[in-house]
Amino acid sequence: MRLACPHCGPRDYSEFRYGGDASKQRPPHGTTGHGTGDLQTWHDFVFLFDNPKGPHLEYWQHVLGCRRWFTLTRNTATNEVGEPK
Amino acid sequence: MLERRSALAVAHPFAWAALTLGEVRGFTLTQVAGFGNFAADVAATAGALPETSNQAVESNGRTIFRTGPHAFWFVGPENDDLAARLAGKAIVTPLSSSRTRISIEGRAAREVLRKGIPIDLHESVFTPGMFAQTGLHHTPVLLHCTAEQRFELYAMRTFALNVWEWLEDAALEFK
Amino acid sequence: MTFRRLPSGGRIDRNRPVGFTLDGKRYRGFAGDTLASALLANDVTLVGRSFKYHRPRGIMSAGVEEPNALFTLHDGARTEANMPGTIVDLIDGLTARTQNAWPSVELDVMGINQLAAPLFQSGFYYKTFMGPTKGAWMFYEPFIRRAAGLGAATEAADPDRYETRFDFCDVLVIGSGAAGLAAALSAAGGGGRVLLVEQDSALGGGLLSEPEQDGWLQARLGEIRNASNIQALTHTTAIGLYDDNMVVLVERHDHRQPDPAKGQARQVLTMLQAKAIVFATGAIERPLVFANNDRPGVMLASAVRTYLNRFGVAPTGRAVIATNNDTAYAAAFDLAAQGVEVIVADSRTEIPADLQRRNSIEILAGTSVVDVKGKNTLHAVLDGAEQRTITCDVVGMSGGWSPVVHLTSHGGIKPVYNAAIAGFVPGGFAKTHSGAGAVMGTFGLNAAIREGAAAGGGSIAIAAAGGEDRPYAIVPTWMPPRRKGKAFVDFQNDVTAKDIKNAHQEGYHSVEHLKRYTTLGMGTDQGKTSNIIALAEMAELRGLPIEQAGTTTFRPPYTGVSLGAIAGRTIGGHFRPTRRSPLHDWHAANGGVFIEAGLWQRAWYYRWAGDTPESAYVKEMGLVRRGVGISDVSTLGKIDVQGPDAAEFLNRVYVNGFAKLPVGKARYGVMLNDDGIVLDDGTTTRISETQFYMTTTTAQAGEVMSWLEFLLQTQWTDLKVQVASLTDEWAGMAISGPKARAALELAFPGVDVSDAKLPYMGCLDFSFDGVPIRLLRLSFSGELAYEVHLSADYAISLWEHFLKTGASLGLKPYGLEALASLRIEKGHVAGLELDHRNTLDDLGLGKMAGKEKDYVGKALRQRPMYQAPERWSLVGLELLEPEKRLRGGAILFAKDDKIEGHGRGYITSVTWSVELGKTIALALYNGGLKHVGEEIVCAFPLKNELTRAKIVSPHFIDPEGKRLHA
Repeated sequence: MRLACPHCGPRDYSEFRYGGDASKQRPPHGTTGHGTGDLQTWHDFVFLFDNPKGPHLEYWQHVLGCRRWFTLTRNTATNEVGEPK
Repeated sequence: MLERRSALAVAHPFAWAALTLGEVRGFTLTQVAGFGNFAADVAATAGALPETSNQAVESNGRTIFRTGPHAFWFVGPENDDLAARLAGKAIVTPLSSSRTRISIEGRAAREVLRKGIPIDLHESVFTPGMFAQTGLHHTPVLLHCTAEQRFELYAMRTFALNVWEWLEDAALEFK
Repeated sequence: MTFRRLPSGGRIDRNRPVGFTLDGKRYRGFAGDTLASALLANDVTLVGRSFKYHRPRGIMSAGVEEPNALFTLHDGARTEANMPGTIVDLIDGLTARTQNAWPSVELDVMGINQLAAPLFQSGFYYKTFMGPTKGAWMFYEPFIRRAAGLGAATEAADPDRYETRFDFCDVLVIGSGAAGLAAALSAAGGGGRVLLVEQDSALGGGLLSEPEQDGWLQARLGEIRNASNIQALTHTTAIGLYDDNMVVLVERHDHRQPDPAKGQARQVLTMLQAKAIVFATGAIERPLVFANNDRPGVMLASAVRTYLNRFGVAPTGRAVIATNNDTAYAAAFDLAAQGVEVIVADSRTEIPADLQRRNSIEILAGTSVVDVKGKNTLHAVLDGAEQRTITCDVVGMSGGWSPVVHLTSHGGIKPVYNAAIAGFVPGGFAKTHSGAGAVMGTFGLNAAIREGAAAGGGSIAIAAAGGEDRPYAIVPTWMPPRRKGKAFVDFQNDVTAKDIKNAHQEGYHSVEHLKRYTTLGMGTDQGKTSNIIALAEMAELRGLPIEQAGTTTFRPPYTGVSLGAIAGRTIGGHFRPTRRSPLHDWHAANGGVFIEAGLWQRAWYYRWAGDTPESAYVKEMGLVRRGVGISDVSTLGKIDVQGPDAAEFLNRVYVNGFAKLPVGKARYGVMLNDDGIVLDDGTTTRISETQFYMTTTTAQAGEVMSWLEFLLQTQWTDLKVQVASLTDEWAGMAISGPKARAALELAFPGVDVSDAKLPYMGCLDFSFDGVPIRLLRLSFSGELAYEVHLSADYAISLWEHFLKTGASLGLKPYGLEALASLRIEKGHVAGLELDHRNTLDDLGLGKMAGKEKDYVGKALRQRPMYQAPERWSLVGLELLEPEKRLRGGAILFAKDDKIEGHGRGYITSVTWSVELGKTIALALYNGGLKHVGEEIVCAFPLKNELTRAKIVSPHFIDPEGKRLHA
């Protein structure tokens, strides 16, 4: 599989590390405040994932290269990948 | 009196007809990063900076690599005082000990590197002046093509001897 | 049957005779032979016994599809089993052995399996050994395994060398028949980098067996050689097509007899990235299914032709050609031209007129071979329009052609049935893929050339071959005629037409079920000659058109691959990268004994202290508790955190506060993951208002770095912070023990390291001999201790300086074992406790967490279950039975518990305490410190040990921390 690093360009997948589902918004810093914040929001963010067959927005890091984190859409059925962001 | 010691102090450089493996010692590696318009300030001190992520620029006796959207590597002579001169203008991290600079030269150089580096090393594609941050034997390396048949590999210091051993083994068929 | 080498002809080099042995007997062949062709030339036609029934088998094909003629090659550590003789280049000194026969292929005692054949029918194992009688399998398995099988692999290490490499090209052409050659030349005309790969020992594909087209072939080969942008590789198989046009190629150099000592690889695996791929993979001829179609001497018609034309090997007297299509006539005519008497039994009633015009052969229309009898001389039984038995030397059969759609299907595009050729062709192509020639069902030579030229881009014209293409006609026949005797579909796995009927009867209708029920296509040949026949038969039994029966899934590899080629040089010392501290060379030269810790080689203990780790580490611990020792801590992760928002950033990632950490001070910090579980710990020092020096554990250095980058680059993009790894830039050494300050004073005269100037958790940056030194007063051991960090280049020099100046204090090095044991006495958690399952509270660190601020993991660490009183949390243990041992991993039970199940916790770390004179441990225990003082039982079932211990505080020594602050 080839992934396009937004800085270095297309590279072999072995230069990258997978960083998980990028389709959900991580709750912003500060919302937990003095207490537990919205426990349900954090629970859902950390533990609940769709497992789609098809396009999936993902985090990747060019860990052996420029170490940039970016997102791209990968089709989980075909491994077709879209443009990085 | 404190003395420097290379990570490759126990390695044995060699020069065969098809391949020469050696180490480039005595350089200063300075990582320069920053925010916003820092590059302009850096350029005012260090000269023009590279725009692209795959072409190194030679400027004021230094080789400059653009290693990230907001980061550069300056490889200058030993005792280069660039870090001090850029203080306050950018985020400066001296990294001279962190990388070991291995030179690979000869007609077999590209084929030896192909055994571990997953980028297109064809002489029509990876030409002198170009570089790539990539992987060799699971470790991060920066590969710089310095001439048609000569390369410099910046390996992480703690992996450098292992990378050297790996290259030595990969080169065996060209002895 | 008898074969002989013709006095002339073929592509063998008659000036280069080659000697080889089969089962110890010497034979001769020529360079250019395969093992199979050389054996046939020597009239060796019985070459193996079949998998289940031990039936005598001969050579069926002339290519990778060979199901029968499998040999064990070479001796000793180079032994290689199950090699089709049809793809083995004959080399001088080659030793081959037949397989699955004892004492010999001629007299095989297991041939009795034929009599017990009902036992080996498909489904027999399932019905007999599953369910209530399952136990019987345990008893019979060894006998059955011995009776049925192939060659045996060697257990010795492979002495050969293998390489893996990466490569790139613009156009990859797979297959070098007429279509492939045309595609390569056409692609090269476009200027791109072209790679042409051929699994055979020579370029040319089917043309190598067509002498009349040699002029065209030689002309194209000359053009290929002259094209500077075509690289052509023989002996190279494209074994798989992967995502994004990655094709794995395996190039075999066996025929060159490579010398591993000279770095020459036996095989080279290339991970090739191609911008475009042309599949010119050809087609494989199918057998016909009739009784005893597996007798030695029954071969594919095209193979008979290849042995004749390419290798100059011909049957001596008479040949019967059995066919249902036109292509077999080429073999018939070529045999007749060599003086062989040929009878063609063509199951079709109408035979194209142009084939009938030739009067050199006898053609029996509407006639099929239904059985072959005989052992050494064959008797082909004919039925249909003509009914007679013909005595002959060879039966050449052709059931039609199956395009090689394996690679084109690896990408997930299913092949589709083409009724005109009675075969499956590619069901479509990805944008950058195309196909040409027989793989597309195009059997005409000039049509294949035109198709190849177009697939290669069509930039230049490719010369046409001589002669006109004739249309291809076939009337498929799948089911065997009703006769007694086994009619084989899958020769290698001994699957007969009857097995397929059985599967149908038992309800295994889908091809995937059929395959698993009968083992069809599961041999080393992966059913190249059998799969299509089987699924056509199943379709017929089900009354479905073939296209609705479906095919099995094609998966890499296309042909067998050596494990060595996949491993390449990733073996032995290069199995994974090795990471060495900047002090490594000193340890190695001065009695350090190394241990692997992750990728690191770390100094475990030193010879000065003892010759075993058990004796050495205790002595090294004593050195630190009573004097002063020096230890290499360069493996710690070290991170430069800079920027105007650096303090805010650290305040967010650590549970405890960093915003107000004064410049020049270090602080111990703990990080959580989002899920509230502890990620890592370490000390971070404030160098300036905007710069921090972070350290992480050795094990988590990479994880933490990536995590910080993730947060800065994707989540908190408003924070102005840059992080850079300093793990390789800086070396670290710990100076520990009551005399540590004295050691520093001796090493750095003139530097004030007094408690006032450098208190506990203080930091001092200074220059020594022109080299920047960072001196941190930290302690992992619980003693007065410091860490000295400096540029890795100077690490050994400074280390030696310490040893020299500290000699009067008895300063000596201590290793990882002592380092890890000292911290157990102090109750510091490390990797064994930070195992990605524990919360801050589990580790007794809950009080560290900031109440007034938000930090990563804050919400989820406060989940109710994480607050449960019965959570397993950190305690200390003291051994109560000195003659016994505590062991890491031991399961803990309360004194009166029944010893079963998962217990109430487990031991994480154990050491002998020099200070206390007893064995102590850290453990995680249900309810934790509530149980201090209780006696528990430590169970270690692997050694049948039950050991009593007492729960104590994990802070075994100096709980007030007086020594740290000394």
